[in-house]
Amino acid sequence: MIKEIDCRGLACPAPVLQTKEALEKEHPQVIRVLVDNEASKQNVARFMTSQKLEVSIQQVGSEFHITGTMGDSPVTEAVSEERPKGSQRKIMVMVTHNCMGHGDDELGQKLMVSFLKTLKEMGRELWRLVFVNNGVKLTIGGSEVLPILQEHESVGIHILVCGTCLTHFNLLDRKQVGETTNMLDIVTAMQLADKVITI
Amino acid sequence: MCGMTFPTDENVLVGLERADDAGVYKVTDDLALIQTVDFFTPIVDDPYWFGQIAAANALSDVYAMGGVPKTAMNLVAFPLKDMDISILRQIIQGGVDKMREAGVVLVGGHSVEDKELKYGLSVTGFIHPDRILTKKNLRAGDRLILTKPLGTGIVNTAIKGGLAPAELIDRVTRLMATLNREAAEVMSRYPVHACTDITGFGLLGHMAEMTTGTPFGLRLNSRAIPILPEAVEYAGMGLVPAGAYKNREFRECMVDFAPSVDRLVQDILFDPQTSGGLLIAVAPDRPDDLVSELKERGVEAAAHIGEVVTAPRERIGVE
Repeated sequence: MIKEIDCRGLACPAPVLQTKEALEKEHPQVIRVLVDNEASKQNVARFMTSQKLEVSIQQVGSEFHITGTMGDSPVTEAVSEERPKGSQRKIMVMVTHNCMGHGDDELGQKLMVSFLKTLKEMGRELWRLVFVNNGVKLTIGGSEVLPILQEHESVGIHILVCGTCLTHFNLLDRKQVGETTNMLDIVTAMQLADKVITI
Repeated sequence: MCGMTFPTDENVLVGLERADDAGVYKVTDDLALIQTVDFFTPIVDDPYWFGQIAAANALSDVYAMGGVPKTAMNLVAFPLKDMDISILRQIIQGGVDKMREAGVVLVGGHSVEDKELKYGLSVTGFIHPDRILTKKNLRAGDRLILTKPLGTGIVNTAIKGGLAPAELIDRVTRLMATLNREAAEVMSRYPVHACTDITGFGLLGHMAEMTTGTPFGLRLNSRAIPILPEAVEYAGMGLVPAGAYKNREFRECMVDFAPSVDRLVQDILFDPQTSGGLLIAVAPDRPDDLVSELKERGVEAAAHIGEVVTAPRERIGVE
């Protein structure tokens, strides 16, 4: 199913909003958006990328056709209401702090190292690791758990790091693992997960 | 306005050819008039706040020249047939309240009927002819101070798209309605060499204007630049206004980004601002004092973001 949206003659942010609405309502496998200006082209492509679509852009005269294709993406999974039997559960772990538990921070930091290391025992059910608030400090250069996280990432665990939080702490350029993300991605991930564990 | 000629006068201290924030005309040896005009279409839904923002934005050019605004006139375009006149009353009330806060008196105005609502002010201020702060008087080693966070253009795009939460709309509205008066008053007690306010061209666009034709370049520390955190998130979702792309296209030839500067941050440095902060070039020994006094006086976002260098000239390096 190819969904085509004609956004020619529209100014930002209308093309992005229409793309967003079509993706949310209709979950098309392929979406093509027609725009006629550079800003809309870049914004729509950027939005599709943020939604984990594969993006290709074709220039036709003074117009641009931006095509987004669902890969093995969360939105595609969302459409299939029933998961085929035998497929994996998806566990999302959200880390909101750089310590585990309250009381003693030194202890909390040790526990966090141990927790992130031991997470691999979840095996392939561990689907996404999301870092927000103080948790984003675990993903930057110099963090004790950085090698552990990089190992998780190397075996295909999706690591998402909150961009608003990185900016708040002025750490945007020091993040060494995972993808910078936004609240929409985090909420979508929560919706798709079979279980969300918040630390 | 290339190719046109305009009458000149020896008392014009800052005129059209300088393309500065406002025009300055010498009256006597110790008094000059600053004149500026600015108006635009609504950027927030609330008419009262739109009036405040439009007034703060128009007054800003006088502050950026180092002057004190004294009188103002309303400029109004209003769709009488489609909109209730009470909306206009609220807009003007917002404008007048902002003028009162600035110690400015409204002395007149003019309105026309138009399909599209527009509001703004023509402002007149005073300044001593020897104390005019233009954009282009940079000196080597000057430190650059910015007084408001960037990202209002991107956040306004999210607001327009109905994606911003009420708390953020409120915070950004107040930010845009904040006068640059406090910042300008503090600045007047420091050895400041140049100043401009950040508006439609974005931080890097205005910086490009400051350096073009001078023997200087600028070096910025992107991590020190105050940014609305939500702007990064919205930029990642493609909610970047067309103006930011145009600013980038026009000026990126003058900018050297270090590879570590995130693409989203780059976009925010080109994001067109509404009623943005002052960009101040202060002598190299005083940036910390200036920033701490600004913060004490409630200019909370004030930050030391870079410096003026002699090489490479007419270029802006962002690390």
